[in-house]
Amino acid sequence: MKPNKTIIVMLLAVYIAVPLAFGRDNYVMSLVVASMVIGGIALSWALLGNLGGMVSFGHAAFFGVGAYASAILSMKFGVPVLVSILLGGVGAVVASLAMLPVLRLRGPYFALAILAYAHIFRILATQWTSVTGGSGGLSNIPRLPEIFGYDLSSKTGGYLVILTIVLVFAAIYQYIRCSNYGLALRAMHESEDATRVVGVNSTLLKGLMLLVSAFMCGVVGAFNAHYINFLEPDYAFSGLWVTIPIVAAIFGGYRTITGPIVGAVVVYLVDQLVFKSIIPSGHQLVLGVLLVAMIIFSPDGLLSLLRKLTRRAHVAA
Amino acid sequence: MLQLKNISVRFGGLTAVNNVTLAVGTQDVVGLVGPNGAGKTTLFNAISGLVRPTSGQITFDGADVMRAPMYKRARMGIGRTFQVPQPMHELTVRQNLTVAQRFGTGSVDQNKIDEILEFTSLAEKATRNAATELALTELKALEVAKALATNPKLLLLDEVFAGLETTGKRHFMSMLKNLHEKFSVGIIIIEHDIETISNLCQRVAVLNFGELIAEGTPEEVFRDPAVIKSYTGGGHA
Repeated sequence: MKPNKTIIVMLLAVYIAVPLAFGRDNYVMSLVVASMVIGGIALSWALLGNLGGMVSFGHAAFFGVGAYASAILSMKFGVPVLVSILLGGVGAVVASLAMLPVLRLRGPYFALAILAYAHIFRILATQWTSVTGGSGGLSNIPRLPEIFGYDLSSKTGGYLVILTIVLVFAAIYQYIRCSNYGLALRAMHESEDATRVVGVNSTLLKGLMLLVSAFMCGVVGAFNAHYINFLEPDYAFSGLWVTIPIVAAIFGGYRTITGPIVGAVVVYLVDQLVFKSIIPSGHQLVLGVLLVAMIIFSPDGLLSLLRKLTRRAHVAA
Repeated sequence: MLQLKNISVRFGGLTAVNNVTLAVGTQDVVGLVGPNGAGKTTLFNAISGLVRPTSGQITFDGADVMRAPMYKRARMGIGRTFQVPQPMHELTVRQNLTVAQRFGTGSVDQNKIDEILEFTSLAEKATRNAATELALTELKALEVAKALATNPKLLLLDEVFAGLETTGKRHFMSMLKNLHEKFSVGIIIIEHDIETISNLCQRVAVLNFGELIAEGTPEEVFRDPAVIKSYTGGGHA
Protein backbone atom coordinates (compact mmCIF):
# COMPACT_ATOMS: atom_id res chain seq x y z
CA MET A 1 0.00 0.00 0.00
CA LYS A 2 1.24 3.46 -0.87
CA PRO A 3 1.57 5.88 2.02
CA ASN A 4 -1.23 8.17 0.76
CA LYS A 5 -3.55 5.19 0.51
CA THR A 6 -2.70 4.37 4.11
CA ILE A 7 -3.55 7.92 5.05
CA ILE A 8 -6.92 7.76 3.26
CA VAL A 9 -7.83 4.50 4.98
CA MET A 10 -6.82 5.96 8.35
CA LEU A 11 -8.87 9.08 7.73
CA LEU A 12 -11.92 7.03 6.76
CA ALA A 13 -11.46 4.98 9.91
CA VAL A 14 -11.21 7.94 12.29
CA TYR A 15 -13.91 10.01 10.60
CA ILE A 16 -16.46 7.28 9.89
CA ALA A 17 -15.64 4.05 11.69
CA VAL A 18 -15.10 5.58 15.13
CA PRO A 19 -18.44 7.47 15.20
CA LEU A 20 -20.24 4.42 13.81
CA ALA A 21 -18.69 2.10 16.36
CA PHE A 22 -18.95 4.27 19.49
CA GLY A 23 -21.35 7.07 18.50
CA ARG A 24 -24.24 5.61 20.51
CA ASP A 25 -22.22 5.25 23.67
CA ASN A 26 -22.05 8.78 25.10
CA TYR A 27 -19.65 7.76 27.84
CA VAL A 28 -17.05 6.22 25.53
CA MET A 29 -17.47 9.06 23.03
CA SER A 30 -16.88 11.68 25.73
CA LEU A 31 -13.73 9.82 26.77
CA VAL A 32 -12.59 9.77 23.14
CA VAL A 33 -13.16 13.53 22.83
CA ALA A 34 -11.29 14.16 26.09
CA SER A 35 -8.41 12.04 24.83
CA MET A 36 -8.30 14.05 21.59
CA VAL A 37 -8.22 17.29 23.59
CA ILE A 38 -5.23 15.94 25.45
CA GLY A 39 -3.79 14.78 22.12
CA GLY A 40 -4.10 18.31 20.77
CA ILE A 41 -2.27 19.78 23.75
CA ALA A 42 0.32 17.02 23.57
CA LEU A 43 0.90 17.80 19.89
CA SER A 44 1.39 21.51 20.55
CA TRP A 45 3.68 20.72 23.47
CA ALA A 46 5.72 18.28 21.38
CA LEU A 47 6.04 20.82 18.56
CA LEU A 48 7.67 23.27 20.95
CA GLY A 49 9.85 20.53 22.43
CA ASN A 50 10.85 18.91 19.17
CA LEU A 51 11.25 21.92 16.92
CA GLY A 52 11.94 24.62 19.49
CA GLY A 53 13.98 22.50 21.88
CA MET A 54 12.03 23.80 24.84
CA VAL A 55 10.39 21.87 27.65
CA SER A 56 7.31 23.80 28.68
CA PHE A 57 5.35 23.38 31.89
CA GLY A 58 3.32 26.42 30.95
CA HIS A 59 0.91 25.02 28.40
CA ALA A 60 -1.93 25.02 30.93
CA ALA A 61 -1.79 28.81 30.59
CA PHE A 62 -2.30 28.71 26.81
CA PHE A 63 -5.07 26.19 27.25
CA GLY A 64 -6.80 28.33 29.88
CA VAL A 65 -6.31 31.65 28.09
CA GLY A 66 -7.65 30.16 24.85
CA ALA A 67 -10.66 28.80 26.71
CA TYR A 68 -11.42 32.07 28.49
CA ALA A 69 -10.78 34.27 25.47
CA SER A 70 -13.11 32.27 23.28
CA ALA A 71 -15.80 31.95 25.96
CA ILE A 72 -15.78 35.67 26.72
CA LEU A 73 -15.75 36.69 23.05
CA SER A 74 -18.71 34.50 22.24
CA MET A 75 -20.69 35.35 25.40
CA LYS A 76 -20.11 39.08 25.71
CA PHE A 77 -19.43 40.10 22.12
CA GLY A 78 -21.57 37.61 20.27
CA VAL A 79 -18.71 36.29 18.15
CA PRO A 80 -19.76 33.07 16.32
CA VAL A 81 -18.35 30.05 18.16
CA LEU A 82 -16.24 28.64 15.35
CA VAL A 83 -14.62 32.07 14.87
CA SER A 84 -14.12 32.65 18.57
CA ILE A 85 -12.36 29.29 18.87
CA LEU A 86 -9.74 30.52 16.41
CA LEU A 87 -9.58 33.84 18.25
CA GLY A 88 -9.01 31.85 21.44
CA GLY A 89 -5.85 30.64 19.75
CA VAL A 90 -4.94 34.24 19.01
CA GLY A 91 -5.55 35.06 22.68
CA ALA A 92 -3.10 32.34 23.67
CA VAL A 93 -0.58 33.82 21.22
CA VAL A 94 -0.95 37.20 22.91
CA ALA A 95 -0.41 35.49 26.28
CA SER A 96 2.69 33.79 24.93
CA LEU A 97 4.14 37.16 23.87
CA ALA A 98 4.55 37.87 27.56
CA MET A 99 6.71 34.76 27.74
CA LEU A 100 9.11 35.76 24.96
CA PRO A 101 11.66 37.26 27.38
CA VAL A 102 12.22 33.83 28.97
CA LEU A 103 13.24 32.32 25.62
CA ARG A 104 16.79 33.38 26.34
CA LEU A 105 16.84 31.01 29.28
CA ARG A 106 17.79 27.41 28.74
CA GLY A 107 16.79 24.00 30.06
CA PRO A 108 15.48 23.93 33.62
CA TYR A 109 15.53 27.73 33.92
CA PHE A 110 13.20 28.08 30.96
CA ALA A 111 10.92 25.37 32.35
CA LEU A 112 10.69 27.10 35.75
CA ALA A 113 10.19 30.58 34.32
CA ILE A 114 7.38 29.48 32.01
CA LEU A 115 5.74 27.65 34.90
CA ALA A 116 5.76 30.86 36.91
CA TYR A 117 4.42 32.84 33.95
CA ALA A 118 1.62 30.35 33.56
CA HIS A 119 0.53 30.95 37.12
CA ILE A 120 0.04 34.66 36.42
CA PHE A 121 -2.83 33.88 34.07
CA ARG A 122 -4.56 31.68 36.57
CA ILE A 123 -4.43 34.50 39.11
CA LEU A 124 -5.75 36.92 36.48
CA ALA A 125 -8.68 34.64 35.73
CA THR A 126 -9.48 34.35 39.43
CA GLN A 127 -9.15 38.03 40.32
CA TRP A 128 -10.51 39.80 37.25
CA THR A 129 -14.05 39.05 38.36
CA SER A 130 -15.86 41.52 36.10
CA VAL A 131 -14.61 39.79 32.96
CA THR A 132 -13.94 36.22 33.95
CA GLY A 133 -16.57 35.69 36.61
CA GLY A 134 -13.78 35.09 39.15
CA SER A 135 -13.52 31.80 40.95
CA GLY A 136 -17.22 31.19 40.32
CA GLY A 137 -16.36 30.75 36.67
CA LEU A 138 -18.44 31.10 33.54
CA SER A 139 -21.42 28.94 32.80
CA ASN A 140 -23.73 28.69 29.79
CA ILE A 141 -20.86 29.17 27.38
CA PRO A 142 -22.36 28.91 23.87
CA ARG A 143 -22.30 25.42 22.42
CA LEU A 144 -20.79 24.38 19.14
CA PRO A 145 -23.23 25.35 16.36
CA GLU A 146 -25.19 23.38 13.84
CA ILE A 147 -23.65 23.17 10.41
CA PHE A 148 -25.63 21.98 7.37
CA GLY A 149 -28.23 20.65 9.76
CA TYR A 150 -25.64 18.63 11.68
CA ASP A 151 -25.43 19.39 15.39
CA LEU A 152 -21.76 19.79 16.31
CA SER A 153 -22.63 20.13 19.98
CA SER A 154 -23.39 16.41 20.22
CA LYS A 155 -20.65 14.09 21.43
CA THR A 156 -20.02 12.83 17.93
CA GLY A 157 -20.12 16.39 16.55
CA GLY A 158 -17.57 17.47 19.13
CA TYR A 159 -15.45 14.50 18.18
CA LEU A 160 -15.47 15.48 14.51
CA VAL A 161 -14.50 19.07 15.35
CA ILE A 162 -11.61 18.22 17.67
CA LEU A 163 -10.46 15.50 15.28
CA THR A 164 -10.33 18.02 12.45
CA ILE A 165 -8.50 20.55 14.61
CA VAL A 166 -5.89 17.99 15.65
CA LEU A 167 -5.38 16.69 12.11
CA VAL A 168 -5.01 20.20 10.67
CA PHE A 169 -2.46 20.99 13.37
CA ALA A 170 -0.60 17.76 12.61
CA ALA A 171 -0.47 18.81 8.94
CA ILE A 172 0.84 22.27 9.89
CA TYR A 173 3.44 20.67 12.14
CA GLN A 174 4.52 18.38 9.32
CA TYR A 175 4.74 21.31 6.92
CA ILE A 176 6.94 23.32 9.28
CA ARG A 177 9.13 20.33 10.01
CA CYS A 178 9.82 19.70 6.33
CA SER A 179 10.51 23.33 5.51
CA ASN A 180 13.92 24.97 5.66
CA TYR A 181 12.81 26.52 8.93
CA GLY A 182 12.23 23.01 10.22
CA LEU A 183 15.73 21.98 9.19
CA ALA A 184 17.25 24.95 10.97
CA LEU A 185 15.14 24.29 14.06
CA ARG A 186 16.17 20.65 14.17
CA ALA A 187 19.79 21.64 13.91
CA MET A 188 19.51 24.27 16.62
CA HIS A 189 19.11 21.87 19.56
CA GLU A 190 22.58 20.46 19.50
CA SER A 191 24.38 23.09 17.52
CA GLU A 192 22.98 26.55 18.04
CA ASP A 193 26.21 28.40 17.25
CA ALA A 194 26.56 26.43 14.03
CA THR A 195 23.20 27.72 12.87
CA ARG A 196 23.67 31.30 14.02
CA VAL A 197 27.00 31.58 12.25
CA VAL A 198 25.32 30.87 8.91
CA GLY A 199 22.65 33.51 9.44
CA VAL A 200 19.90 31.77 11.40
CA ASN A 201 18.16 34.07 13.86
CA SER A 202 17.69 31.30 16.39
CA THR A 203 15.90 33.40 19.00
CA LEU A 204 13.32 34.52 16.43
CA LEU A 205 12.73 30.97 15.19
CA LYS A 206 12.28 29.67 18.73
CA GLY A 207 9.90 32.54 19.44
CA LEU A 208 7.85 31.69 16.35
CA MET A 209 7.57 28.08 17.52
CA LEU A 210 6.35 29.30 20.90
CA LEU A 211 3.67 31.35 19.15
CA VAL A 212 2.59 28.46 16.91
CA SER A 213 2.51 26.09 19.87
CA ALA A 214 0.54 28.57 21.98
CA PHE A 215 -1.96 29.09 19.15
CA MET A 216 -2.58 25.36 18.79
CA CYS A 217 -2.97 24.85 22.52
CA GLY A 218 -5.26 27.88 22.80
CA VAL A 219 -7.55 26.61 20.05
CA VAL A 220 -7.82 23.24 21.79
CA GLY A 221 -8.64 24.99 25.08
CA ALA A 222 -11.25 27.12 23.32
CA PHE A 223 -12.83 24.07 21.73
CA ASN A 224 -13.01 22.40 25.11
CA ALA A 225 -14.71 25.43 26.69
CA HIS A 226 -17.53 25.35 24.14
CA TYR A 227 -17.71 21.59 24.29
CA ILE A 228 -18.27 21.43 28.05
CA ASN A 229 -19.97 24.88 28.30
CA PHE A 230 -18.41 25.71 31.65
CA LEU A 231 -15.15 27.23 32.88
CA GLU A 232 -13.56 28.04 36.19
CA PRO A 233 -9.96 29.07 36.84
CA ASP A 234 -8.98 25.95 38.77
CA TYR A 235 -10.25 23.80 35.94
CA ALA A 236 -9.07 25.83 32.93
CA PHE A 237 -5.58 26.42 34.32
CA SER A 238 -5.20 23.07 36.06
CA GLY A 239 -1.70 21.64 36.00
CA LEU A 240 -3.21 18.43 34.66
CA TRP A 241 -3.61 20.16 31.29
CA VAL A 242 0.13 20.08 30.97
CA THR A 243 1.19 16.98 32.93
CA ILE A 244 -1.09 14.46 31.21
CA PRO A 245 -0.18 15.73 27.72
CA ILE A 246 3.52 15.53 28.62
CA VAL A 247 3.04 11.95 29.76
CA ALA A 248 1.08 11.22 26.58
CA ALA A 249 3.63 12.86 24.28
CA ILE A 250 6.60 11.12 25.86
CA PHE A 251 4.71 7.85 26.00
CA GLY A 252 3.80 8.02 22.32
CA GLY A 253 7.13 9.48 21.24
CA TYR A 254 7.45 13.27 21.37
CA ARG A 255 9.84 13.52 18.45
CA THR A 256 7.23 12.21 16.03
CA ILE A 257 4.00 13.85 14.92
CA THR A 258 1.65 10.92 15.39
CA GLY A 259 3.28 9.90 18.68
CA PRO A 260 1.71 12.54 20.94
CA ILE A 261 -1.77 11.99 19.46
CA VAL A 262 -1.65 8.20 19.62
CA GLY A 263 -0.01 8.44 23.04
CA ALA A 264 -2.83 10.64 24.34
CA VAL A 265 -5.58 8.37 23.05
CA VAL A 266 -3.91 5.23 24.37
CA VAL A 267 -2.85 6.66 27.73
CA TYR A 268 -6.14 8.39 28.45
CA LEU A 269 -8.48 5.64 27.28
CA VAL A 270 -6.53 2.85 28.95
CA ASP A 271 -6.36 4.89 32.12
CA GLN A 272 -10.08 5.68 32.15
CA LEU A 273 -11.45 2.40 30.86
CA VAL A 274 -9.07 -0.11 32.42
CA PHE A 275 -7.08 1.21 35.35
CA LYS A 276 -9.90 3.33 36.73
CA SER A 277 -12.16 0.28 37.01
CA ILE A 278 -9.43 -1.75 38.69
CA ILE A 279 -8.12 0.98 41.01
CA PRO A 280 -10.86 3.62 41.40
CA SER A 281 -8.67 6.10 43.26
CA GLY A 282 -5.01 6.65 42.50
CA HIS A 283 -5.17 4.96 39.11
CA GLN A 284 -2.82 7.56 37.64
CA LEU A 285 -0.11 5.79 39.59
CA VAL A 286 -0.08 3.09 36.94
CA LEU A 287 0.52 5.73 34.27
CA GLY A 288 3.56 6.91 36.16
CA VAL A 289 4.96 3.39 36.28
CA LEU A 290 4.22 2.86 32.57
CA LEU A 291 5.90 6.14 31.68
CA VAL A 292 9.05 5.26 33.60
CA ALA A 293 9.09 1.83 31.94
CA MET A 294 8.68 3.43 28.52
CA ILE A 295 11.52 5.89 29.11
CA ILE A 296 13.79 3.04 30.20
CA PHE A 297 12.91 0.50 27.51
CA SER A 298 11.95 2.67 24.56
CA PRO A 299 12.93 6.31 25.00
CA ASP A 300 11.55 7.10 21.53
CA GLY A 301 8.09 6.12 22.64
CA LEU A 302 5.31 3.71 21.93
CA LEU A 303 5.35 3.89 18.14
CA SER A 304 9.03 3.07 17.86
CA LEU A 305 8.52 0.25 20.37
CA LEU A 306 5.72 -1.20 18.21
CA ARG A 307 7.89 -0.87 15.10
CA LYS A 308 10.69 -2.75 16.85
CA LEU A 309 8.33 -5.50 17.99
CA THR A 310 6.74 -5.98 14.56
CA ARG A 311 10.17 -6.10 12.95
CA ARG A 312 11.20 -8.76 15.43
CA ALA A 313 8.02 -10.71 14.68
CA HIS A 314 8.80 -10.51 10.96
CA VAL A 315 12.28 -11.83 11.53
CA ALA A 316 10.96 -14.64 13.73
CA ALA A 317 8.37 -15.62 11.11
CA MET B 1 35.86 45.86 3.50
CA LEU B 2 36.62 44.94 7.13
CA GLN B 3 38.03 47.60 9.42
CA LEU B 4 39.04 46.86 12.99
CA LYS B 5 39.89 49.91 15.05
CA ASN B 6 41.46 49.60 18.52
CA ILE B 7 39.60 46.38 19.28
CA SER B 8 39.99 45.09 22.82
CA VAL B 9 38.30 42.06 24.34
CA ARG B 10 38.53 41.55 28.09
CA PHE B 11 37.19 38.64 30.09
CA GLY B 12 37.17 39.89 33.66
CA GLY B 13 40.78 40.73 34.42
CA LEU B 14 42.16 38.95 31.38
CA THR B 15 42.80 40.94 28.24
CA ALA B 16 42.50 38.47 25.36
CA VAL B 17 42.76 41.03 22.57
CA ASN B 18 44.42 44.37 23.18
CA ASN B 19 43.95 47.40 20.98
CA VAL B 20 44.11 45.66 17.60
CA THR B 21 43.73 47.71 14.44
CA LEU B 22 43.55 45.85 11.15
CA ALA B 23 42.02 46.31 7.70
CA VAL B 24 41.18 43.52 5.26
CA GLY B 25 39.99 44.03 1.68
CA THR B 26 38.12 41.83 -0.77
CA GLN B 27 41.37 40.98 -2.53
CA ASP B 28 43.28 40.05 0.61
CA VAL B 29 44.37 36.71 1.94
CA VAL B 30 45.70 37.51 5.39
CA GLY B 31 47.42 35.07 7.71
CA LEU B 32 46.79 35.53 11.43
CA VAL B 33 49.54 33.90 13.44
CA GLY B 34 50.80 33.85 16.98
CA PRO B 35 51.47 31.44 19.85
CA ASN B 36 48.68 29.61 21.67
CA GLY B 37 46.55 31.96 23.72
CA ALA B 38 47.60 35.00 21.70
CA GLY B 39 43.97 35.91 21.07
CA LYS B 40 43.59 34.81 17.46
CA THR B 41 40.34 32.91 17.88
CA THR B 42 39.00 35.59 20.23
CA LEU B 43 39.62 38.13 17.48
CA PHE B 44 37.64 35.90 15.09
CA ASN B 45 34.88 35.66 17.67
CA ALA B 46 34.80 39.44 17.90
CA ILE B 47 34.63 39.84 14.11
CA SER B 48 31.94 37.20 13.65
CA GLY B 49 29.89 38.39 16.60
CA LEU B 50 30.27 35.48 19.00
CA VAL B 51 31.76 37.82 21.61
CA ARG B 52 31.30 41.55 21.93
CA PRO B 53 34.51 43.56 22.17
CA THR B 54 34.98 45.61 25.33
CA SER B 55 36.02 48.60 23.26
CA GLY B 56 36.90 49.59 19.73
CA GLN B 57 35.12 49.78 16.44
CA ILE B 58 34.29 47.18 13.76
CA THR B 59 33.00 48.28 10.39
CA PHE B 60 32.13 45.97 7.54
CA ASP B 61 31.43 47.39 4.09
CA GLY B 62 31.18 50.80 5.72
CA ALA B 63 28.54 49.74 8.27
CA ASP B 64 29.16 49.69 12.01
CA VAL B 65 28.65 46.07 13.07
CA MET B 66 29.83 46.31 16.68
CA ARG B 67 26.36 45.64 18.01
CA ALA B 68 25.08 43.41 15.22
CA PRO B 69 24.31 39.84 16.33
CA MET B 70 26.14 36.93 14.76
CA TYR B 71 23.33 35.95 12.37
CA LYS B 72 23.17 39.48 10.95
CA ARG B 73 26.90 39.59 10.35
CA ALA B 74 26.63 36.25 8.58
CA ARG B 75 23.95 37.69 6.31
CA MET B 76 26.09 40.75 5.64
CA GLY B 77 28.86 38.51 4.35
CA ILE B 78 31.07 37.50 7.25
CA GLY B 79 31.52 33.73 7.09
CA ARG B 80 33.64 31.68 9.45
CA THR B 81 34.71 28.18 10.31
CA PHE B 82 35.29 26.82 13.79
CA GLN B 83 38.49 25.14 14.86
CA VAL B 84 36.41 22.34 16.36
CA PRO B 85 33.98 21.59 13.52
CA GLN B 86 30.39 22.50 14.29
CA PRO B 87 28.23 20.55 11.88
CA MET B 88 24.50 21.06 12.18
CA HIS B 89 23.32 17.98 14.01
CA GLU B 90 20.59 15.70 12.69
CA LEU B 91 20.98 17.07 9.16
CA THR B 92 22.66 15.65 6.09
CA VAL B 93 25.60 17.40 4.46
CA ARG B 94 23.33 18.83 1.76
CA GLN B 95 20.80 19.99 4.33
CA ASN B 96 23.62 21.73 6.20
CA LEU B 97 24.38 23.73 3.09
CA THR B 98 20.70 24.32 2.35
CA VAL B 99 20.14 25.87 5.77
CA ALA B 100 23.30 27.94 5.44
CA GLN B 101 22.24 29.20 2.03
CA ARG B 102 18.59 29.79 2.91
CA PHE B 103 19.35 31.80 6.00
CA GLY B 104 22.64 33.32 4.91
CA THR B 105 21.45 34.57 1.52
CA GLY B 106 17.65 34.41 1.74
CA SER B 107 17.13 31.88 -1.06
CA VAL B 108 18.17 28.37 -2.05
CA ASP B 109 20.02 27.58 -5.27
CA GLN B 110 20.70 23.85 -5.62
CA ASN B 111 23.17 24.42 -8.48
CA LYS B 112 25.30 26.60 -6.27
CA ILE B 113 25.12 23.98 -3.52
CA ASP B 114 26.25 21.32 -5.98
CA GLU B 115 29.11 23.54 -7.04
CA ILE B 116 30.22 24.01 -3.43
CA LEU B 117 29.87 20.28 -2.69
CA GLU B 118 32.03 19.57 -5.73
CA PHE B 119 34.60 22.17 -4.77
CA THR B 120 34.94 20.89 -1.22
CA SER B 121 34.96 17.21 -2.39
CA LEU B 122 31.81 16.48 -0.41
CA ALA B 123 29.57 15.60 -3.36
CA GLU B 124 29.67 11.89 -2.59
CA LYS B 125 28.83 12.51 1.05
CA ALA B 126 25.89 14.81 0.35
CA THR B 127 23.29 12.48 1.85
CA ARG B 128 25.34 11.47 4.87
CA ASN B 129 24.50 12.63 8.37
CA ALA B 130 26.85 15.54 8.94
CA ALA B 131 27.39 15.04 12.65
CA THR B 132 27.86 11.27 12.80
CA GLU B 133 29.03 9.97 9.44
CA LEU B 134 31.94 12.19 8.42
CA ALA B 135 35.68 11.84 8.97
CA LEU B 136 37.62 14.77 10.38
CA THR B 137 38.87 15.96 6.98
CA GLU B 138 35.30 15.94 5.71
CA LEU B 139 34.03 17.78 8.77
CA LYS B 140 36.65 20.45 8.17
CA ALA B 141 35.63 20.64 4.52
CA LEU B 142 32.01 20.97 5.61
CA GLU B 143 32.95 23.94 7.79
CA VAL B 144 34.32 25.68 4.71
CA ALA B 145 31.37 24.54 2.57
CA LYS B 146 28.78 25.86 5.03
CA ALA B 147 30.52 29.21 5.19
CA LEU B 148 30.71 29.37 1.38
CA ALA B 149 27.01 28.59 1.10
CA THR B 150 26.22 31.87 2.86
CA ASN B 151 27.90 33.64 -0.05
CA PRO B 152 30.45 35.46 2.12
CA LYS B 153 32.57 38.45 1.18
CA LEU B 154 34.97 37.68 3.99
CA LEU B 155 35.88 34.23 5.18
CA LEU B 156 37.47 33.58 8.58
CA LEU B 157 39.24 30.22 8.59
CA ASP B 158 40.20 29.01 12.05
CA GLU B 159 42.96 26.37 11.89
CA VAL B 160 41.44 24.35 9.10
CA PHE B 161 44.60 22.23 8.90
CA ALA B 162 44.81 21.32 12.58
CA GLY B 163 44.54 17.60 13.21
CA LEU B 164 44.70 16.58 9.54
CA GLU B 165 47.16 14.00 8.19
CA THR B 166 49.43 14.82 5.28
CA THR B 167 47.09 13.84 2.45
CA GLY B 168 44.23 15.77 3.99
CA LYS B 169 46.50 18.78 4.43
CA ARG B 170 47.70 18.71 0.84
CA HIS B 171 44.13 18.36 -0.36
CA PHE B 172 42.99 21.31 1.72
CA MET B 173 45.91 23.37 0.56
CA SER B 174 44.94 23.06 -3.10
CA MET B 175 41.34 23.83 -2.22
CA LEU B 176 42.22 26.97 -0.29
CA LYS B 177 44.51 28.18 -3.05
CA ASN B 178 41.53 28.27 -5.43
CA LEU B 179 39.01 29.48 -2.88
CA HIS B 180 39.96 33.14 -2.98
CA GLU B 181 39.65 33.47 -6.75
CA LYS B 182 36.79 31.10 -7.44
CA PHE B 183 34.47 32.63 -4.87
CA SER B 184 36.01 36.14 -4.94
CA VAL B 185 36.17 36.25 -1.18
CA GLY B 186 38.60 37.97 1.17
CA ILE B 187 40.18 35.57 3.65
CA ILE B 188 41.73 35.72 7.09
CA ILE B 189 43.30 32.44 8.06
CA ILE B 190 44.56 31.38 11.48
CA GLU B 191 47.37 28.89 11.12
CA HIS B 192 50.41 27.84 13.14
CA ASP B 193 52.46 26.44 10.33
CA ILE B 194 54.65 29.17 8.86
CA GLU B 195 55.18 27.35 5.60
CA THR B 196 51.45 27.03 5.01
CA ILE B 197 50.97 30.71 5.76
CA SER B 198 53.82 31.79 3.46
CA ASN B 199 52.34 29.62 0.76
CA LEU B 200 48.82 31.01 0.96
CA CYS B 201 48.98 34.59 2.14
CA GLN B 202 50.25 37.87 0.74
CA ARG B 203 50.02 39.45 4.15
CA VAL B 204 50.57 38.25 7.70
CA ALA B 205 49.48 39.73 11.04
CA VAL B 206 51.12 38.49 14.23
CA LEU B 207 49.36 38.49 17.58
CA ASN B 208 51.15 38.01 20.88
CA PHE B 209 49.43 38.34 24.26
CA GLY B 210 46.51 39.93 22.48
CA GLU B 211 48.57 42.63 20.79
CA LEU B 212 49.36 43.02 17.13
CA ILE B 213 53.15 42.96 17.15
CA ALA B 214 53.86 42.82 13.42
CA GLU B 215 52.15 43.09 10.06
CA GLY B 216 53.49 42.78 6.52
CA THR B 217 54.47 40.28 3.84
CA PRO B 218 55.40 36.80 5.10
CA GLU B 219 59.11 37.47 4.30
CA GLU B 220 59.19 40.68 6.32
CA VAL B 221 57.20 39.39 9.24
CA PHE B 222 58.99 36.10 9.76
CA ARG B 223 62.35 37.92 9.73
CA ASP B 224 61.20 40.31 12.46
CA PRO B 225 63.13 39.57 15.71
CA ALA B 226 60.07 40.29 17.87
CA VAL B 227 58.09 37.72 15.94
CA ILE B 228 60.84 35.11 16.15
CA LYS B 229 61.08 35.71 19.88
CA SER B 230 57.33 35.25 20.37
CA TYR B 231 57.36 32.11 18.25
CA THR B 232 59.17 29.84 20.67
CA GLY B 233 58.47 26.71 18.65
CA GLY B 234 59.00 28.18 15.19
CA GLY B 235 62.72 29.00 15.38
CA HIS B 236 63.52 28.20 11.76
CA ALA B 237 62.19 31.55 10.64
